[in-house]
Formats: sequence, C-alpha cells, structure tokens
Amino acid sequence: MLAHIVRRILSVAFTFLAVSIIIFLMMHSVPGGPFDANDMPVSEAVRAKMMAQWGLDQPLHIQYLNYMWGVLHFDFGVPFQSPGETVVQLISRAWIPSLVLGGAGVLIGAPLGILLGLAAALNRNSWIDYLTSTLATLGLTIPVFVTSMLLILIFAVWLNWLPASGWPHPNRWILPIACYAAIPLATYARYTRSAVLDTLNRPFVTVLRAKGLSERRIIFQHVMRNSAIPLVTVFLPMFIGTATGSIFVEAMFRVPGLGAYFVSSIEVRDYTLQMALMLLITFMYCLAYLLSDIAYALLNPRIRVGGEQ
Amino acid sequence: MNALMRVAGMMVAATALCAPALAQTAVVAPSGNTAGTYMDYMKTVYDRGTGSELLQVPIATFDKEFELTPMAAESWSQSEDGLTWTFKLRPNLVWSDGEPLTAEDFVFALQRAATSGYDFAWYWDFAGGIKGWKEVTEGTADVATLGLKAVDDATIEVTTVAPKPYFPSVTSLWYPVPKHKVDELGDDWALDVSSIVSSGPFEIESWEKSNNSVVLTKSDTYTGPWSPMIDRLELDPTLNAPEVGLPAFLAGDADYSFLNTGQVPVAAQRYPDGIRKNAVFATSYISYDLDAAPFNDINVRRAFYYAVDRDELTSTVLKDIAIPAGSILPPGYPGYNPEIAAEATFDPDKAKQFLADAGFPNGEGFPDVEIWYREEGGYNGAIIPAMAQYLQAEFKEVLGINLNIRALPGPEWMDGLRGKKNNIFIAPYEYDYLDPSNFYGIFFNGGRHGYIIPEYDEIIAKADSESDWDTRYQLYADAEQLMIDKGLIVPLVHPVTIAVVSDQLTGEGVQPNSLGFTQLDRLGHYFFTHITKQ
Repeated sequence: MLAHIVRRILSVAFTFLAVSIIIFLMMHSVPGGPFDANDMPVSEAVRAKMMAQWGLDQPLHIQYLNYMWGVLHFDFGVPFQSPGETVVQLISRAWIPSLVLGGAGVLIGAPLGILLGLAAALNRNSWIDYLTSTLATLGLTIPVFVTSMLLILIFAVWLNWLPASGWPHPNRWILPIACYAAIPLATYARYTRSAVLDTLNRPFVTVLRAKGLSERRIIFQHVMRNSAIPLVTVFLPMFIGTATGSIFVEAMFRVPGLGAYFVSSIEVRDYTLQMALMLLITFMYCLAYLLSDIAYALLNPRIRVGGEQ
Repeated sequence: MNALMRVAGMMVAATALCAPALAQTAVVAPSGNTAGTYMDYMKTVYDRGTGSELLQVPIATFDKEFELTPMAAESWSQSEDGLTWTFKLRPNLVWSDGEPLTAEDFVFALQRAATSGYDFAWYWDFAGGIKGWKEVTEGTADVATLGLKAVDDATIEVTTVAPKPYFPSVTSLWYPVPKHKVDELGDDWALDVSSIVSSGPFEIESWEKSNNSVVLTKSDTYTGPWSPMIDRLELDPTLNAPEVGLPAFLAGDADYSFLNTGQVPVAAQRYPDGIRKNAVFATSYISYDLDAAPFNDINVRRAFYYAVDRDELTSTVLKDIAIPAGSILPPGYPGYNPEIAAEATFDPDKAKQFLADAGFPNGEGFPDVEIWYREEGGYNGAIIPAMAQYLQAEFKEVLGINLNIRALPGPEWMDGLRGKKNNIFIAPYEYDYLDPSNFYGIFFNGGRHGYIIPEYDEIIAKADSESDWDTRYQLYADAEQLMIDKGLIVPLVHPVTIAVVSDQLTGEGVQPNSLGFTQLDRLGHYFFTHITKQ
C-alpha cells in the first residue's frame, strides 16, 4: 500500500510537470498579450515597457524556468489584473466565497441525493422513485443560470423572502447554495439509486435475508457499503468542480468568488494567474484520485494493490 | 424592575445603534467593468478601479445639459496666439489626507501618463495636442519638454502644438494624481484602500477586487462645487448586466437597473414613471481595411453604405436599444449635422448599382468576407451580435453576397484592426469629451483604423485649430461629407440605454434633461452628486 502511494505521488509530480509545460506553451501560443490595446492603440514603446516590467520580453524557456523556480518556493508571481497582491493572496481571498457556497452546496446536496436515491431504490416504481427520477433529470439538465434565475424570481422577487444576490451576509448565501446543491443532489440520487438496486439484486443480499438479518442492518451495513464505490468516485471531482466556483452562479448571485477568474485570466492573458489556477486544479484532481484510491481499498478489501489474490 | 430596566437599556442601545443608519442615505448603483487594477484613472482607463473618477476632481466637467462647468479650475483663458491655455485653480482644494492639492498634482498626472502610464496616452495624443506629447511618449524627448507647467500652486499653463479652441472640454478627463503619495509609494498608492487618497466629492471606504465593486462615502474634505447629497454610494459592476441588475432591483437590492429589450415592457408596466433613457453619445459603424480587396474599391464601400435599412434594424431586432445612425456624430452632439445624416438612406437599387460598377453584378464573383466584432458586455454586447446577424441577412438579400461573422476578444479584435488582419469590422466608439474633434480624431492620421487620407487629415487639422466656431463646424461637416463620399465608414446605429429607477431615488440628477436623457451611465460627477434618496 505504501509503495503504491509513493508511486502515485511520483506520478502526481510528473503529471504536474507535464501539465505546467503544456499550459505554459498553450498560453503563450494564443495570440495577443496582457498589455495589448483594448479600444485604442497603445504605443509600441509603452507596450514594450510593460512587457519588460513583467519579464515578458525574455525567451519563453527562461520565462518558464523562472516561473517554475518561483513555484518551487511557493511564489506564483503577481497577477497582471490585480497588481497589488500576489497570486497566492488573490486565490486565497477569492476562493473563500466559492469554497463556502460551492462546498456547502455539495455537502448539502450529496447526502440529500443519497437519501433520495436510497428511498427510490427501496421503493422502486413508487411515487418517490418517480419523483427522484424527475428531480434528478431536471437537476442535471437545467443549466445553473436558469436554476439561479428561477430561484431568484421565486424567492427574492415574488415571495420576497430572501435577498436576490450579494455576498457578505449569510442570508445571501442560501439561494446560491441551493443552486449549487442541485447538481450533486441530482447526480447522487441517480448513482445511489442504480448502485443500490444493483447491489440489492446480488445473491449475498438474499443470503443475508435468509440468515434473518434485519432489513435495516442489511441496507446500512452491507448494501450501502457495497454500493459506495461509484459514490466515492464521483465525490471528490465533483467537490473540486463545485467548490472552485461557477462563473455562472457567481455572476447571477454577484458572488466575489474565484469562478470568474478562470475565464478572465484567459481573456486578458493574465499568465501568472492562469498558470496558478491550472496548476491548482491539476494538483487537486491528482490528490482527489489518490484519496479515492485509498478510500476504495478501505471500503473494499477485494481491491488490493500489489496483485495479492 | 430589573427586567424593565434591562429592556429600556436595550431599547436605548438599539436606538443609538440604529440612529446613524437611519440618517444615512445610501445608494446602490450598477457601474462599469468588473476588472480593476489601479484606483487611478490617469494610470489606466480601461482597467481602472470602479469610481476612480468620482474620487478625484477634474479640471472641468459637463453638467446635465452637457455644458462645460469648471470644477477644480476656477477659470481659464487662452493666449492671443491661441497656443497657451492658463487654468486658475480654486483656493483651498485639499487631498483627503489633508495635503493641499496644487497645480503640481495636475501637471504630474499628465507627465506620468506620458511616461509610465499605460493606456491613457492615446487620449492626450489625439485630443490634447500638448506640445511634445508624441516625442515624450515615444521616449525620444525628456518629460520636461512637455508643454505643461505649474506656474505656481494655483496656476497651470498648457502649451499646444496648434491652437486648440476646445481644449477646456478635453480637461473633463484631466484628474490630479497625488504626487506626494506617488513619491512615497509609487503607483502602488492606488492599490489599497488604506493608501488611496481622494480630491473629489467622494472618498473610498472599501474595494472588493474580485468584482471591482466599491463603497464610496461623501468626502469631508472636498471644498469644490457639487457636494454629494447622499452619504454612501455603492457602485457594483456585477449589477451592470440587466439580467442580474433587474432581479436585484425588483428585490430592493439596487436603486436602478439597466434593461435589456425583453425587460423594457415588463419594467415599463410596473414602473411607468421610473423608465429613463440615455443616448450615450456613441456610434457603431462598419470600417474596412482600405488597402485590401474587395474594399479597396470605393464602389464596394458605397454599395455597403446604401444596403443597410437602419430603420428596420432599429425598429425590429434592436427595438428600444438603438436609433439609426447616418453620421459618425450622434444627434444632440456638438457639430451634429442632420443633412449629412439624412444622406444615409436605404436604397437597394443604388447599392446594387454600386456593386455592379465594382464588377460584381448581383454579388456574382464577390469573395466571401468575414466581419469581425469585439466580444463585450454593456450596451454594445446587446446590440452588436444581433446587428451582425441582421447585416448578414441584409447583405445577402440586397447585394447577394456572403458575409460571415466572427466575434473576438477585445485585444485580438484590436490587433486585427490595427494589423489589418481582416478587411471588414464592426467598430463601436463612445465619446470621451464633447467636441466633434473627439469622433473625427479617431480617423486622423492613421488613428484607430490605420486610415491615411491626406485630404481628410488636412481638413481635420484645420478644423482643430480654427477659433471661429461656425467655420469649425463647417470644416467638420466637410470632413464628414468626405468620409461618406469616400465610403470610409458605414454608420449603423447610435446606442440608447434604458433603465428603471426606483421612486425612492430623487433629485435633479434623475430628471431627464432638455433632450429627454438621464445621465445614469455617463457624467458620473453630475449624476451622483445630484441625486438623493428618500
């Protein structure tokens, strides 16, 4: 197990390096630069001065090495679009709202989805099953900007129960959290339903029933555990995807989060921030799969690493 | 008894806590763009922090009726030869940290814009005409050679290369920069609320950089004209998109919101007295690479000019958000010439004839062309993509040609325009100051489009320094006629913004001016100092 983890960590390091080179090259191969004219011409002298100031006049490989040397020291540079702070400061500031809202969305949506999915599987073809399927389909097919608009319209404009948008006060968090929760809820309802149904049909469940175990023990101790693998696979990537903020949800609810920076850093060629965000995401996904692997082994002794049969 | 005392005590405390809040008038308004680097207009215009212009006092500004009004300056005068302008500052102007605001701060602002500024040098290059500007920005001359001088603490002298009779209106975008702060902290003074100082009617309280929203408060130290009637002003660019702004407005989170075409009828029905319009003094037009086929042929360009049904365009696809444009100058703008605008008719026969004259009868043999426009938000974002599709259909129908459409991010679009990487563009432009030289300047001597038309440049140079205003306007009219005759541009539409305003927002600022416009999205100095809230 330990050797496996070490191997995985090494592969993470390699992935990290490969991604950094690919992103760096792609980023610089896109035409344009951070100090190009936007609406009116910027003189060549001014542009050259700005490029030199940020070290962008140096050959690409030198820029890459300088950048990666910084990364090794946890220095990701200064974002061009927010010169008063470092990239690390920007990310740690802007990530908080995204993490709070997106994280809460997943942490609320996923358990609710599991409960719904379980209820649907245990009461197959009942109203609760149909309701779950409907909710799951709607949750996965309606785009978040439509969900947000509907939530705002119903709860802020018509009922006037909650504020429409904004960040600082917690009562403004409810609608975006609800919006974020829709996708994990729908996903988990679907996965849980099918995984549990699948497990319920397996012979060992019949054996357990024959042994006279209570239905509650069968479900929670055996069926749930055996159905957990797909749920674990989905969880971390979904958490990362949601807790780094959605540009749509954040724009609709006016959340000063990280979501918009993913787009704006590419749009304005904010190389330092773009690199840092990509590396952050890469790192988190690598870590997520590593953790998922470990969780598999803990959940299911049959998944053993090292080929012992 | 004890319990009674406690309740009474709590009530007193609660009243004390609530009282200042009740006395405050706070306005929440949509604003500008969501990216802001420096809270310093003179450092960067396109990437400025929200409200940076309201924090500083310009030399002059425009009032509700677009009349130029002195702000930091008390008066100004032009020398006999017309080459030197002298501005006298008001006494007792101070920075919010107590330092006196002097002529040096204004001179320094432009010296820095010319040397270590970023995207504002162009404005002073084409609008200001200050002596030595080009040489200094290109790095071939020392900043001391600029035609700018602080004669004493209250007197600024500006020397221009040619007489610039309209120079005072250019100064509506001349804000001071706190030299004492730059000496201490460099440009970084404008990065953090704790080090930002202001000279204008508002001070900064907080700045959320993730979306460039700010909370401004009424300045305690400002002694100039137009003191705010509100205590707090929250400017939030995330409210700027009508899709976000209107729901927030309806839920009581914003004091006004811009509207998209679909929202206008709903808002007009609910708030019949709250609808406001503003002509933003902007124009969308088609421009070309004049050297590249097929648009190097004047007949092709003329054909395009006559092939657009501007009335149909603005009454159908662009309902309520634009009016037809027949000239580069919008109606109501100084120098606007209705006769020239009237020439821009929709005449399919003429258009077909011009195209046939160019050797493409019924569009036969005409190459497929691709029109490039810039992806953006705001009113242009609502107008241009829809307009591009309309033009595509229209040119197919009238001229029999295939027009493809491509949307590009700002810098790539600009790069394509400047580097002549494509041959036809939709270009929007919004005024900077109120004088015809502003719009004509963008085509002068290469300018924004790389047009070099010696005949045109000659008229513009003459008009720029003409001191007799009637002669001047006539010269600009001649220049416009030349633009039309040579088919340099196809004026398409002038955008109009529509907003819904809460009935709690009162004051002269929210009342329409004599042209029927309310300045919700320009002339911030006037608007935000002339509103109050009930």
